[in-house]
Amino acid sequence: MDETTLQVYSVLFVMATVVLVYTARFFQKRPGGRRAQRRLDGLERIAGWTTQSIESNRPLHLAIGGSAIGADKTPAALAEAELFHQIIKRADAGDIAPILSTSTPVMIPLGQGTLRRAWHKGDGASRVIWYPQNLSYASAIAASMAGDKPAAHIMAGGFGVELALMLDGADRQGQPSLAVSDRLDGQAVAYALADHVLIGEELFVASGAVSEEGSGHSDAAVLDVWRGLIILGATLLLLLEFSKQLPLLTWQLAAAGAAVLIVLGAVMYRRR
Amino acid sequence: MSEEFNWLDYVEQEESAPAPARRSGLRRFLPRLPRLPRLPRLPNARRLLRLPRFPGLPSLRRRRVDAAPGQPSAADLLGAQDERPLDALDDRLLQLRERSAADSQPDADEGQPLYDVDDVLMTPVLLQKPGGVISAGALSKAQEQQVELLRNIVGGATQEEGQGGRRLMPGGALFSLGALPRLLLASVVLLAVSLPFVSSDYAEGDLPPSQFPVDAEGAAVYSLLDNLTATDTVLLAFEYGPTAAGELDPLAELVLRHIVARGAVPLIVSSNPIAVARAQNIIRAINRSVAAGGLRLQHGIDYFILRYLPGGSLGIRELSENFADVARVSAKGALTGLAFDSLDDMAAIALIAESAEDLRNWAEQVVPELENTRLLAFTGMAAAPLAQVYADSRDEILGLVAGYRDAFTYAEMLQTDFGAPLAQTGLPTQPEQPELEPASSNAARDRAADQPADGQAQAERAEATVGALIASLQLSSTAPSPTVTPSPTVTPAPTLTPRPTSTAPPTATELPTATATPETILIVEVTSPEQVRIRRGPTRADDILRLARAGDSFEVLGANADGSWYNIALAPGLAGWIAEFLVEERTSTRAAFEAGQASASARPPAERVVLRSVFRFSLGKTTPRYYQVNSLTTGDLRDYVLLRDRTQEIPRLEAMTLGSLAAALAIALGNIFSALSALRRRRREGRA
Amino acid sequence: MGRAGISAFVAFAVGLTTLLSLLLGDNPALFGGGPGSEELARRLALPGDVLLRLVVIVLALSIVIGITNLLYVHVGRVARGKLYSAVLLASFAFTIYWYVSRRGDSSLLEAVQVPIESTLASLLFFSLIYGGARVMRRRADIWGLLFVAVVIVVLLGSLPLAELAPLKAWSDWLMAVPVSAGARALLLGIALGTVVAGVRALLGQDRSYRG
Repeated sequence: MDETTLQVYSVLFVMATVVLVYTARFFQKRPGGRRAQRRLDGLERIAGWTTQSIESNRPLHLAIGGSAIGADKTPAALAEAELFHQIIKRADAGDIAPILSTSTPVMIPLGQGTLRRAWHKGDGASRVIWYPQNLSYASAIAASMAGDKPAAHIMAGGFGVELALMLDGADRQGQPSLAVSDRLDGQAVAYALADHVLIGEELFVASGAVSEEGSGHSDAAVLDVWRGLIILGATLLLLLEFSKQLPLLTWQLAAAGAAVLIVLGAVMYRRR
Repeated sequence: MSEEFNWLDYVEQEESAPAPARRSGLRRFLPRLPRLPRLPRLPNARRLLRLPRFPGLPSLRRRRVDAAPGQPSAADLLGAQDERPLDALDDRLLQLRERSAADSQPDADEGQPLYDVDDVLMTPVLLQKPGGVISAGALSKAQEQQVELLRNIVGGATQEEGQGGRRLMPGGALFSLGALPRLLLASVVLLAVSLPFVSSDYAEGDLPPSQFPVDAEGAAVYSLLDNLTATDTVLLAFEYGPTAAGELDPLAELVLRHIVARGAVPLIVSSNPIAVARAQNIIRAINRSVAAGGLRLQHGIDYFILRYLPGGSLGIRELSENFADVARVSAKGALTGLAFDSLDDMAAIALIAESAEDLRNWAEQVVPELENTRLLAFTGMAAAPLAQVYADSRDEILGLVAGYRDAFTYAEMLQTDFGAPLAQTGLPTQPEQPELEPASSNAARDRAADQPADGQAQAERAEATVGALIASLQLSSTAPSPTVTPSPTVTPAPTLTPRPTSTAPPTATELPTATATPETILIVEVTSPEQVRIRRGPTRADDILRLARAGDSFEVLGANADGSWYNIALAPGLAGWIAEFLVEERTSTRAAFEAGQASASARPPAERVVLRSVFRFSLGKTTPRYYQVNSLTTGDLRDYVLLRDRTQEIPRLEAMTLGSLAAALAIALGNIFSALSALRRRRREGRA
Repeated sequence: MGRAGISAFVAFAVGLTTLLSLLLGDNPALFGGGPGSEELARRLALPGDVLLRLVVIVLALSIVIGITNLLYVHVGRVARGKLYSAVLLASFAFTIYWYVSRRGDSSLLEAVQVPIESTLASLLFFSLIYGGARVMRRRADIWGLLFVAVVIVVLLGSLPLAELAPLKAWSDWLMAVPVSAGARALLLGIALGTVVAGVRALLGQDRSYRG
């Protein structure tokens, strides 16, 4: 695919997403239009952790890690800030503000803004902490866990393998953790070491799942549409490839099979 | 666990059942929302097949938005009141609040689960009597709810769901049995890692091959760097910090040594500020090791460290789109005098990356801009699997060299190709020279070829070599440079004489020739303590031809009108301008001057001459305008490779093998143990 | 239009400009490749370039924010009697003094930071092994088993031991097919999420722009 075609497809893809976002919001606003959300095990714990934080007067620790606005991971950083906003809003009834930690200085203002908007008791400037570079950040956070005694750790952001230090520290202190990383190595560590884990694009639907607001839900719906289309496309391509291998299986047959599968899937989805 | 009622066990069994979402905390006291009528459900396949629950994976089950987590929690309800007056709290909560506020001093019995519950809630006395008349079943539903509420409120000690074993409070963690497996594991792995350093009896595993397989990516990477010539410039990106230094320093050092040993100039760049300092330290280490061979790398001549690129991937984008600007300023903020138009002017781009993410950034931001130049990737072992995916994704990425084992192979190949140290082989002899040059005939080359092989003064030889190289630079056609196959055996043949480039400037400048009398000549000696610049013309706006430092002396050819700049001879056929206030003028005889130059040329920094041509095409891309000619005759650039310390390489490899083996065993045994205890726990829960 | 409206509008305008500039700029073929198209493409690329350069400058300056924040947070902690924060501030001051008094001397980096970070990296190694050894504690199910099995096969497959040579083929296949497929699926999911969240930010609907 040459560059021009690629650019045209990119423009079309972005525009289609815009249209989908608005469509989803339109349906979301209609009474009874709210769509069922996927159950995410880790996110269900957040309510409990927040309550626990309030009543035991121990802060929640929210870690952004290496995600940063201003680079290619900007949307991920904004999605994480939105998730943290929802969590902080829940913890607002307590007396101790959550701690927000980051390893990129450019996230400090965003973190402070998030705290200011969601936390109504005094300024949150001193609750955003920054340590430079990945490894020193992780070890500083792991070391401060004993002193700050967070009620729980919610680590959603850009982490590499250094996440292991933080999760191991949390584990040793008996503090529960939820982790997700937009980097693959960090994601693997999160899966192995965290108490609860989100995977891949679940990071982007998390704020919708935690909040009451409709916009998060409609974004999740758009994501689901795209994901469904991709899975469908990949399956069809696979079937087509198979049909070339097997003399009996023509592409019409494959298409018919796929159609049957889609209908079955839709029926099952409705019944659920 | 005893038969008596245990809060922990009790709650765990409730949680381990696939129950509907738990109502945690204060929500227990809220009126339950009316349940929606249940839809008819498909038979639960999971229950039928008795598959275990997969907590890590997203469940496909859907829930109504207004169920579980979306439901307003107690915290939300309270938060909606803006400020919760203290006197609105009931006594138990107030007491808890005060306790948690005064929590800074951990109690002595903090290691005990639910250690402070007793102060707040009167524990039913009966529970403390094992086998008492009234058993655990005597707790009413309301009491159970309260117990669970307290578990949530107290937090930390025991509340974590579905984790199985007890969790201990901070104070007790270190001395509890829980720390024992950790210590045991650490000592076993530590022992495995240190044994190979103690004795070679513990040598395990085969050494890496001494050569990359012909079709391997490593071989392609090696051969590209090995075919560099003295006119090439290589962009060397250091994308790693001190964390990965242990693994990547050897790779970085090898690549640097290889590049300079071929006479090419590395331009070091990084989007990580620490990596810039890292690069400086590696160069310092190289200089320490080659000092014995009379060599020294000098910034501004033999290598450049460019300014740090802020902004992560945006910084790398900046590098690829505005390379001319980036190359203009060094890490210390000084002007480099380098003039490149794009990254395509580089002979290669070598990226030493800590994580696959770094390679991804380069693959996305830099590689699409490349037309002729190839990217060579070097990463650590841990990053290799993902990095390989990115390395395979584009043709412009020539290959990936990963980890300490590949570094060992690379070092072996270098060692073989560069042969034994110069001290054993003697000076390079001249008759080999024509072989290494393109088959173009020109007077200068003939002159170089005609030099007698032995018995010549060093000065003459230097002059001849420089002349030959300049001439070949100026006149060589676009014929491909001959591939040099360095002989693996120790022979006196010089395998390192720089090869002419295939991208030489099309025309030569008319240079003033020295017309001084043979007897007495005027010379200037650099007196400024700083490095000084020699320029193409008598103004500060002119291009920099080369750098000089205190003690360097040059023959004066003339001066400008007001005497503020000297026109000096840099090499036969090449002249430059130097500002008057930087130098001291004196007279000398030609013989004395040349003898001095010859001894000075034994000093490494002065051995290399930097040329820069100003010719650029007005249409489209411009040709490289920076050339370096290696006029080395006394030292041998091979020493950059051969004087490397390799004593720790083999024990390190063996330590890695043993360590990984111990790690694999630890992981396997640990998980068998964990799985068994999980099974036991499940069975116990099933019984209960 | 309130403050929130203005910031949302600015976000929208800047986002759209950059997006269009990056998508449409620098490719004359997009405009038919005619005589005027090159100039048009170049002009379209300009605003995006300028904005991105501004971002780089702002990002470079953000380290100042970081240091200010670090000092602010830790001075506050020292006031509450935290010893380690005092150590941090003291070493901060010492490092500044060192670099000012001995210009260009990076021996602190070599003698302090590199050993400390290398030590941390090896601690990380232990943490990873320990975590790896306890995976089944958290996930005592088929997926945990699969995870551990893959880790062990790949780890052993990478060892240069003749006895383990058969594992090498397995490990290579695992890395090349399932691991690579899984990694791509994860990245695809993240990329999709990025686009949707990006559109949200682009439309000025992100909370950060809503004041």
